[in-house]
Amino acid sequence: MSDRSRLRLVVLRALVVSLLLTLLGRLWYLQVLAGPQYAQAAADNQKRDIIATAPRGEIVDDRGLAFARNKTALVVSVDRIAIQRQGDCTAITDPCTTLHRLSKVLHASFHDIFNRIQLCGVGALPKGCWNGSPYEPVPVSQLKADQASTRLALQILERKEDFPGVTAELAAVRHYPKPKGAFASQTIGNLAPITSEELAKLPKVQRQARLRDLVGRQGLEQEYDDFLRGRAGVTQVAVDHIGGVTGTLSQTAPVPGDNLVTSLDARVQASLESSLAGAVKHARQLGVHAYGGPADFAAGVVLNAQTGHVVAMGSYPSYDPSLWDGGRIDTKAYARLQKAAGSPLVDKAYSSAYSPGSSFKPISTSGLLHDGTASINGYYPCGPSYSVGATSFRNFEGEAAGSINLHKTLVISCDTVYYYLAYHDWLRDEALVHQHKKPVEGVQHMARNYGIGRPTDVDLPNATTGHIADRRNTLLQWKATHKDYCMGAQRRPVGDPIKAFDKEYCTDGWRFNPGLQLIEDIGQGSVLVSPLQLAVAYAAVANGGTVFEPRVGQAILSPDGHVVHQLKAPVRGHIPLPKSELDYIRNALYDVNTQGTGATAFAGWPQHKFRIGGKTGTAELGINRSYTSAWFASFGGKAGEKPQFVTIIMVDKGGVGGVVAAPAARQVWDTIFGVDG
Amino acid sequence: MTDWTTPRGAPYSSRRRETLRDRALDRESPLRRLDWVLLFAVAMLCTLGALLVWGATKPGNVAHGLDPNGDLKRDLLNIGIGVGLGSVAAIVDYRTIRAYTPVLYLASLIGLVAVLVHGQTVNGSHSWIKVGPGFEVQPSEFAKIALVVLAAMLLGERRDGESAPDNRDVWWTLAASALPILLILKQPDVGTVMVIAFLIFGVISLSGVSARWIIGMLVVALIAALVILHLHLLKQYQIDRFTNFTNPHADTQGTGYNTHQARIAIGSGGLFGQGLFHGTQTNGQFVPEQQTDFVFTVAGEELGLFGAGLIVILVGVVLWRGLTIAARAEDAFGMLVSVAVVCWFGFQAFENIGMTVGIMPVTGLPLPFVSYGGSSMFASMLAVGLLQNVHIRSHPSRP
Repeated sequence: MSDRSRLRLVVLRALVVSLLLTLLGRLWYLQVLAGPQYAQAAADNQKRDIIATAPRGEIVDDRGLAFARNKTALVVSVDRIAIQRQGDCTAITDPCTTLHRLSKVLHASFHDIFNRIQLCGVGALPKGCWNGSPYEPVPVSQLKADQASTRLALQILERKEDFPGVTAELAAVRHYPKPKGAFASQTIGNLAPITSEELAKLPKVQRQARLRDLVGRQGLEQEYDDFLRGRAGVTQVAVDHIGGVTGTLSQTAPVPGDNLVTSLDARVQASLESSLAGAVKHARQLGVHAYGGPADFAAGVVLNAQTGHVVAMGSYPSYDPSLWDGGRIDTKAYARLQKAAGSPLVDKAYSSAYSPGSSFKPISTSGLLHDGTASINGYYPCGPSYSVGATSFRNFEGEAAGSINLHKTLVISCDTVYYYLAYHDWLRDEALVHQHKKPVEGVQHMARNYGIGRPTDVDLPNATTGHIADRRNTLLQWKATHKDYCMGAQRRPVGDPIKAFDKEYCTDGWRFNPGLQLIEDIGQGSVLVSPLQLAVAYAAVANGGTVFEPRVGQAILSPDGHVVHQLKAPVRGHIPLPKSELDYIRNALYDVNTQGTGATAFAGWPQHKFRIGGKTGTAELGINRSYTSAWFASFGGKAGEKPQFVTIIMVDKGGVGGVVAAPAARQVWDTIFGVDG
Repeated sequence: MTDWTTPRGAPYSSRRRETLRDRALDRESPLRRLDWVLLFAVAMLCTLGALLVWGATKPGNVAHGLDPNGDLKRDLLNIGIGVGLGSVAAIVDYRTIRAYTPVLYLASLIGLVAVLVHGQTVNGSHSWIKVGPGFEVQPSEFAKIALVVLAAMLLGERRDGESAPDNRDVWWTLAASALPILLILKQPDVGTVMVIAFLIFGVISLSGVSARWIIGMLVVALIAALVILHLHLLKQYQIDRFTNFTNPHADTQGTGYNTHQARIAIGSGGLFGQGLFHGTQTNGQFVPEQQTDFVFTVAGEELGLFGAGLIVILVGVVLWRGLTIAARAEDAFGMLVSVAVVCWFGFQAFENIGMTVGIMPVTGLPLPFVSYGGSSMFASMLAVGLLQNVHIRSHPSRP
């Protein structure tokens, strides 16, 4: 043997020894240093938590009719591990025989099914990915309760060899049964799978059990989620590597969620929804020239004036809440809803605010009376127009009625009286400002007393605050936004009408000029209210001055029927007006429906049995005021008793309040009192 | 020139007079000249292997209603056949074997071609050929044996006055090994290709060629690796295995599942293990391929650091003895055969154990003598037979 070879043999020997020492060192690390940690991992390996979702509580109306409950349905699930083991389905382009076969029999998209069984949180998130444990079967489809579906489920179960890893079993799923045909979709809300961000916010011990949770995403389902959800049960089982259960280690039973009793009345709700649809149709039929309009959307509220509870609340256009049955909406259906005209997914009754037009007048009247600008004994000029400086403010359609008191002003809805009063109000406040004193701003203060420009604190998520402009917030708003307007004034092409508007706002927007006060007092310009806010204000007018924090929930009942919480609408304040003045306003509003702007719509209404007062509103929209929104705010009850309910109807771009909104309100009153059948 | 004697060199007449017992105990007898330490280490490895195969398969067999000891029995049968084959390889003079090297080489090539034509696919590789009912052969295992003797023959044949093979010999060796390597790559069985490449590299290096060859081969290997990476010649699962090896926590559910579960099994064994048949990872069958490629995890979990470490040490003894035999070999052929076997066992054992403990990427290689598998057992036994063969015929007086 050559010396070279001999030397290299020694090198090889050294190499062998060092490699073996490496292995021994690594073993020492794994088994001794990191041993306890791996022992724990091995112990965890043998355990699996099986989560039994708790039945979610029902949401029922005042009489116990369910708006949301659970039904048993056949749910088709796919075992990810079994599919992985088939080895032909790691990427979406793979053959995936089983899934393709399944998509064919279910008439579902293969992509949808494939994405559903992908784990969330690995790489880019596919739409509809699975948030739950990788060892649990993933529900991919829910079958209807009809015969064809049952046959389909049997087919899947019987042809196990064609559908390895696929099961169909009965499970409780969310169901929105539309009692009496009432949707109440935006109020009831819906469910969606919990997101990873939401999971991350939970305490660590809860995460595992809530991986598969459906959580409320809108409306009451979101607001009362903690009560409705219940507590999932966890069964800890011992398993082998393929998830075969070899024993049960511990078990906690699921705790069903509490039921929510709302103050909604399915009958009234259904009536409100059909009235809104009818009002929109009516407005469109009439067209702009016959006091109608294109009517993009509509909203309405029925409130119990004595308790502050919501009896009905809805928007048009709406959508069928059963689209969300099972806690998931079909992606295509959802995309359709997102693109639909009038954005049905957005609530218009409590989460968006609009100019209320003349239906605001009882509130401005209250303010003017309270700060002393007007008096119930005074007479004020109702001319065809009112001029401040070079600007002339016209009465509606240029009507004139001479010198009239506030009662008449409300009944015929004379704008120029408010212009007159507002200007005097403004002059007094400006004088105070010059003396470095605080302006009174009586109308604005009164509006806030009524709940306008303040959060309603209703038991629904995303409720709007609305807005009412005064000197302070006008200046603040200008400070925050004027730069954009100034830029617009510079950059917009000559001749663009918005250029002039931008320029004016850029230089003068900080100033609370008399024009703002004038149109604010007739409910336009910078007054924005949601129909729900207006309902709360009218309830105060109707009930003698009590302002409520409105509530949809009435009580939370445990699954066995005990009252867990009584949900009363808290009183948030009282209108600071003497009883005589509130009575004066209320009486004027009663006369609106017999002699004034509501008289046509309420012709033939049995006022001697059910007395209904109201106020129309026709708010001009946009820069060139080509469209108007139709409002009708009303309250009523049995004659001789306190007014029981408030009904508000708003039709955006719907035309004139007395023509479009008041008849819709009458239809709702019909249902409430059972007048016309 | 050494003037060596062989048992065959003894006069016929004198041997006839001896009884069988005398012959067995004779100073020159093959039995007395066996490397008993090597034999003991291999026997220990086989015994431990049988126990581990038993431990890995019994729970699954019970669960499936099969003979609980079925795999153990087959493993013992494999060991038995392997001992027979090994004895033949030890007894037939290795110089006779050298004479038949071309035949062995051709036979292995035929086997490798046949497997591509008629082969069975197991775990994605086209490596097995069905010989009879329930009996499959993996020709690539036997190709290792053929290449061991072929490389030793080509590099060990010295012309007068030479102390090292010339360049032509090295080129021939590389060319001759390229053919089976390509055939095995086609299956594809990257693990075996790596073993063979390392084996050839080791034999050429130890044959006494100039250091330029060694550096050259390393550079070529490096360039080849870079080319493979840049031309995307690897399949996705091969890349995944590598990335999982470099970042083991990347995906513990998908492609990293095996190695993750393997580490859990070994780590949870601790110092003394959980006892044979008592490993929860093993009984729950969390580690795939546990009686074959991942058999070491059973040792780790059920026998602990002592059992697993014992296996490493026993492998060390086999390699150490193999290198000693190489150092004492009578001729270059014997030395190179021993070196080739050591390189083979060394690389394969390091790779196999290394992948289970997470320091090497995953390839489908069995642990010699320990893993369940006929072809691997037979080839390993044949290789040990060759080592014994060289040992028996080396000069007794040498240290």
